Amino acid sequence: MHRMRAGAAARAAAAVLAALLAAAAAGCGSDDKPGSQQVTIRFDWWGNADRAEITEKAIDLFETKHPNIKVETSFAEFNAYFQKLATQIAGGGAPDVLQMDYRYVREYGDRGVLAQLDSGPAKVDTSGVTPQLLSGGTVGGKLFGIPPTQNTQVFSYDFAQWEKSGAAPPKDGWTWTDLRNSAQKVSDSTQKQVRGLADFGGIEDWFEVWLRQQGKTLYTDDGKIGYTAADVAAWWQLTDGLRRSGACTPAELTTKMDGSQANDPVTQKKASAGFGYDSGFTAKSWEIAGRELKLHPFPSDTGKLGQYAKPAMMFSIAQRSEHKAEGALLINFLINDAEAGKILGMSRGLPANAQVREAVGATLSGPPAVGFQFEQTVGPKLEPAPPPPPKGAGTVKSTFQRIYDDVIFQRTSIQAAADKFLAEAQKAISA
Amino acid sequence: MTTTRTIGRRRTTPPAEPVPRRRPRYGERPGLAYLFLSPWVLGALLLTVGPMAASLYLSFTDYDLFTTPDWIGLANYRALFGDDPRFFAAVWVTVKYVLLSTPLKLVAALAVAMLLNRVSRTQGFYRSAFYAPSLLGASVAVALVWRVIFDERGVVDESLSVLGVHTGGWVSNPRYSLLVLVALAVWQFGAPMVIFLAGLKQIPQEYYDASAVDGAGPWRTFRSITLPMLSPVIFFNLVLETIHAFQAFTGAFVVSGGRGGPVDSTLFYTLYLYQKGFTEFRMGYASAMAWVLVIVVAIITAVLFRTARLWVFYAGEESR
Repeated sequence: MHRMRAGAAARAAAAVLAALLAAAAAGCGSDDKPGSQQVTIRFDWWGNADRAEITEKAIDLFETKHPNIKVETSFAEFNAYFQKLATQIAGGGAPDVLQMDYRYVREYGDRGVLAQLDSGPAKVDTSGVTPQLLSGGTVGGKLFGIPPTQNTQVFSYDFAQWEKSGAAPPKDGWTWTDLRNSAQKVSDSTQKQVRGLADFGGIEDWFEVWLRQQGKTLYTDDGKIGYTAADVAAWWQLTDGLRRSGACTPAELTTKMDGSQANDPVTQKKASAGFGYDSGFTAKSWEIAGRELKLHPFPSDTGKLGQYAKPAMMFSIAQRSEHKAEGALLINFLINDAEAGKILGMSRGLPANAQVREAVGATLSGPPAVGFQFEQTVGPKLEPAPPPPPKGAGTVKSTFQRIYDDVIFQRTSIQAAADKFLAEAQKAISA
Repeated sequence: MTTTRTIGRRRTTPPAEPVPRRRPRYGERPGLAYLFLSPWVLGALLLTVGPMAASLYLSFTDYDLFTTPDWIGLANYRALFGDDPRFFAAVWVTVKYVLLSTPLKLVAALAVAMLLNRVSRTQGFYRSAFYAPSLLGASVAVALVWRVIFDERGVVDESLSVLGVHTGGWVSNPRYSLLVLVALAVWQFGAPMVIFLAGLKQIPQEYYDASAVDGAGPWRTFRSITLPMLSPVIFFNLVLETIHAFQAFTGAFVVSGGRGGPVDSTLFYTLYLYQKGFTEFRMGYASAMAWVLVIVVAIITAVLFRTARLWVFYAGEESR
């Protein structure tokens, strides 16, 4: 009796096991439908929900125009996006079309992860794109990323608050001292409930503008670090003074700044002004910030503005993608199609394609129009972008922000922090 | 021969003379046993042993995730111990975390287990309720909630402000940020609690009855009966939770936004490993870190087992 039951149970279990295995095998294969031309491509990018809504609209239009292509999208904020991307690429599961950053294009391009976009199956028509911008996506003579848009550094401020506090608004030729005085006024007049500035000392991007104002660069043309520890210390001295006097945000707020809107002291109304990029303006920008902001170029003590026209981002295609042609179609649509341009507006920055830019400019209103207007005014003063930074530049940027925490939490002297940073930066570049 | 391979319940002594042929019995067909084991064996081989071997190899290479690894011998290990101050920072943070969270978690688990051990009709409900955080606690969602609770103007900050203590948020203060993660770990005391509960039920009631007759108070009973009788279970939980604590990652990753800040105050070992591997593209280096962790945890576990002889009491060894 007992034996029989055990045998029957074993057979039943074996049958269940076999069924499970069969189901698993079937599950693996169900994606390929032979005979149908339907293609699904994946498109990953960084940004926020606001940009996502607009991007989805443009993708919908693309899918209507190309009914055989389905586009699956996914997005995350900048840091999370790149962490995920590295994992996906290493695991062989990279998206077909992906958003690439100026700072990482050499890192990925040099390692053969990205497909060439100026020849081969992934070729995209770039005739309408400003050549200077294209050079930002070119590594070793090969085009690995096409910038759909350009942007530049910007100072944005809550002008109503500044007026109320009696702070002098920025004007042409304003200096870092002017900025300090105005910011101090805002903090003082609100009993530090609203700080004049979001602390910008830890962001390498704004340090770069300041460096360029003094005729230096972040990286030399041969990919070495273009500044000294003394430069870093001088920059941190400047922002340290702002924090100590209360003109900018305290350490607890500053340390949380991660590029997301949620943790931006200006969005949280804990600061009245800050530095940023002029890309990303959508109809909802003022709604998200809770008030209207005005834009102005950086202050400078040298008469040199230091800002440059930067590829706001790039679109790239993964080398291992099986649908490069379809991916190229999508990129082509996003950068060259006037209708797509009108949908996307300024959500990724100023369109790189001159024709699209004109078409878009005529239709804008609200915050995107403010961004567009700013680009038009500041455009002639912008310098061309430096060549794509060396491998390890992404690590240098995050190291810069991490070690700035030592300064704001007063863990070490500014000079010691600057020395520590430079040593780590050198290591990251050479590794 | 067949009998030595028996997996089943009854072991028969080998017969002296040949027995008449019979149908092989269930449990005497190792092939079938392995067939049923195969999902787990395959899982262990493909998902654990294989990747571990690969990471051991990678730890001797310079590997950037995308291109072919280059053999560099012990260079990663040398750099780790000779040339990386952040590595030691991460070790220190992790050690502090293990030393704080493990004992607190075990004390919380034991205390709640003893409360729940009393027979009551609602016991089942409370047991589930206290266990729930363990199921949820390792998840990203709870870590996010935790971050909000301890953030500036979060529940904790606001409550303390009412009492006149202004902390300005624990998450972004390097002095308290690690405590937030310790609290998150302690809150997940459910798993050791369930094991403690089972252990408490094993202690014979006679011991308690006898001590009550002798006039022992609750503290005395706890020290002289509960603790020694429970010591094997305490030991088990201690080993398990120590290992878990060394491996902690999710909470630190989510609460610090993947950065281990502020000022590296929540830079757990595993988080630093992750940063090296996936944001700095130094997977060889990260693999070396992983192996150092494996070895250190193995040593600590061995040491714990050694000390166990001094304080763990197994029933049936009373004569010792």
